[in-house]
Amino acid sequence: MFFLQSLLSGILTGGVYALAGIGMSLVFGVMNISNFAHGDLMMLGMYLAYFSFTLLHIDPYLSLLLIIPTAFLFGCIIEKVFIHRIINHPHQNQILLTIGLGLIMSNSALLCFTSDPKILTTSYSSSAVHIFGGISLSVPLIVSFLITCGITGILYVFLSKTTTGLALWATSQNREAAQLMGINVAKMSAIAFGLGTALAATAGALIAPTYYIHPMAGHTFLLKAFTICVLGGLGSVIGAGVGGVIIGVVESMSSTYLSSDWKDVVVFIIFLAVLLLRPQGLFGKKGEQ
Amino acid sequence: MLIAITAGIASVLPIVTGENPYVIGVMISVLMMAALSSAWNILGGYAGQYSFGHAAYFGAGAYTTMILISKFNFNPLVSIVAGIIAACIIALITGSIVFRLRGHYFGLASIAVAEIVRLSALNFDFTGGAQGILLSDVSLWGLDLNSKNPFYYGMLLVLVVTLGITLYLRTSKTGFYLQAIREDQDAAASLGINLSFYKNKALLISAALTSVLGSLYAVYIRFIDTSAVLDLRLSIEIILTAIIGGVGTLWGPVLGAVLLVPLAELLRSNVIGDALVKHGIVSETSGLGVFLKENLAHAHVLVYGIITVLCILYLPKGILGLFRRAK
Amino acid sequence: MIGHILHINHVSKHFGGNVAVSDISFSVDEKQIVGLIGPNGAGKTTLFNCITGFIHVTSGDIIFDNKKINKLRPDEVCRMGMARTWQRVKPLGSLTVLENVMIGAFSITNAAREAEEIAIEQLDSVGLTDYAKKTAGSLSIGLKKKLELARVLATRPKMLLLDEICGGLNHTETDGILVIIREVRNKGATIVFIEHDMKAVTAICDWIVVLNSGEKLAEGTPEDITKNPEVIAAYLGGGQNA
Repeated sequence: MFFLQSLLSGILTGGVYALAGIGMSLVFGVMNISNFAHGDLMMLGMYLAYFSFTLLHIDPYLSLLLIIPTAFLFGCIIEKVFIHRIINHPHQNQILLTIGLGLIMSNSALLCFTSDPKILTTSYSSSAVHIFGGISLSVPLIVSFLITCGITGILYVFLSKTTTGLALWATSQNREAAQLMGINVAKMSAIAFGLGTALAATAGALIAPTYYIHPMAGHTFLLKAFTICVLGGLGSVIGAGVGGVIIGVVESMSSTYLSSDWKDVVVFIIFLAVLLLRPQGLFGKKGEQ
Repeated sequence: MLIAITAGIASVLPIVTGENPYVIGVMISVLMMAALSSAWNILGGYAGQYSFGHAAYFGAGAYTTMILISKFNFNPLVSIVAGIIAACIIALITGSIVFRLRGHYFGLASIAVAEIVRLSALNFDFTGGAQGILLSDVSLWGLDLNSKNPFYYGMLLVLVVTLGITLYLRTSKTGFYLQAIREDQDAAASLGINLSFYKNKALLISAALTSVLGSLYAVYIRFIDTSAVLDLRLSIEIILTAIIGGVGTLWGPVLGAVLLVPLAELLRSNVIGDALVKHGIVSETSGLGVFLKENLAHAHVLVYGIITVLCILYLPKGILGLFRRAK
Repeated sequence: MIGHILHINHVSKHFGGNVAVSDISFSVDEKQIVGLIGPNGAGKTTLFNCITGFIHVTSGDIIFDNKKINKLRPDEVCRMGMARTWQRVKPLGSLTVLENVMIGAFSITNAAREAEEIAIEQLDSVGLTDYAKKTAGSLSIGLKKKLELARVLATRPKMLLLDEICGGLNHTETDGILVIIREVRNKGATIVFIEHDMKAVTAICDWIVVLNSGEKLAEGTPEDITKNPEVIAAYLGGGQNA
């Protein structure tokens, strides 16, 4: 019973992780950049959900309709102002720049909102449904999971069926060739970063009702998102989705059977093991660097 | 030569400044960051292996020393040596994992290893967990360890040693090989360079020096916890200091520390906020004045972030990079 | 096997399902200059990468100086006396030309002073003395190729693998390189080189090995090869303009 309980709640949490991982993977795939500000973008999403709830009295899930376009625009601007200038720089400079952007975001949040954790309490925050008698699943997690599935589905259709989606895919396969074929790769980068930001913010908003909201909240999720990407193969959207669920389950299992203090260590050990044994990830193609 | 002159000037500075404890405290921080960043520079700047997890070696030194002194009453010097050994063991494990990876993966893996070390220190009992370790009393050869002077000279000594090693490396086979690895790993291997041997060599030298600084810091402050000595932010500050001064140059990290540490100190101690109010630029009772007084002290990390971004965009080779390679 | 400095024995290399090199055998005698030719994708560079330890063969043996070297790392292969250059030059860009060559020389000495002396001498022999203090990244492509040659020569190789050392060069530059290659051979080294320029190959080689689609198509003296109808069909016919 314990096993089933932690498996199911792991899958539900993992769904939201997957969303963050997919955003990061998309940015990596199209732009070949590891975005260290990704966690802080999630944190901003958490605050957006919090304030639209407390100030505008909009339900956190409904507020996604507001958050997604805002975050997309924000991401595009960040890309245009900062990221696109370093697309051909060495990796370490890209990492440092995004770290810098992340520090600016988290510490601006610290200045504006103070370090006191905020809690977004909705009428259903602590409600749970009971199935099979002994297993209880948190309602917000179920709703988040369903929304995640919906968004992932839409994203999948967008990437595989629309012209822009295919252009993004082409850019991720080979930037130079895509450019030669007349694809505006600069525009694709902006769109990819915008989408990545929107996905990060959405993931943040979705977990807002179940987590403490504070300026440094992004850091835990940053390294999780990287693990998910590496697990799924950097750049692979489907891989990141599956990777997210795996990490969710691993966390939940190690909390149940080991100790919740060590769950992050388990995640990092998996991360290193994947890097060493299968650097292309579970779904990446062999031979990619 | 320049190292000797600088060391000479630095060694009389405490006397010139009238042994003001606050000023000496800031100068110790400058020396420590200069040495940390110089030690990182051997691996990151010369060998081109950007470690984002150097806090792990700093923490290894700090924790080993503190545990041995506070629980087993070790001689501080012996415990510093033990710290070096601990750091080198972590470095060898890290090296065997991360040096097989290149590009993005190398940076990510170095962070992951450091985070595992941090979380372990946070969760084990013998490291004091979240409470950290407090050291009540320590002595060595009748030195007054309550005064800041021994630590000032200790940090200065490590800095001089680090710069000396860097200078030696630059003119020796190892230094040439490290730079070849930085420029092109395949070309380096094709010229007979054993990549993993030289990368690990650079990492061990760098980790050992970093751990000594961690030990000194721990005995100086007499309190450590994971957020003080193992945090990712420390690793990033170390890199940032080197970047601003000039990565892969002898004096870049020192210059970076001389500029950044006092700036952070100014912001932290809220000197700027106070000055703005004092000179009547901002009224103390106005909303802005209250905001500045309350929050500017927290802003030094924000300023670090801004400097990082500006530096990468406009000065990726650092201040010394502007002058170098004009030939 | 005695008398051959390099012996390639039924070497194959697969990448996943793709066969890049398939069951290739040939031998190189000491002090020979051997040309390795073939259309793009014939497996020439893959074979070089196998010989120099950058990738490992799927099956077969590579014997150099009477020792099996299939499992060695690139740096070990280099220290055994086999050096290579790269099709896409790999200068150590922010180091000076002199420092680049010194790094090659460090494989035979530990002293910086001695490495510098070897490097100066080597730069002189390829005519790069005037550029010693320039950064390697700032050189023209022709000079970068010369630098690469000087750098591997400073490792004092018994055997030299040159991957399109004349690619992208004009006639005068190509001739200059060919003069250097001949001198190196006269001093006792063995040379295998990949080249597209048939004129350069026939002018300098004692022996030619032709690859096509990962397999050995033919080998022989330059006269034989240029008359071989299979070679003409596969390579000279289709790839002349390349």
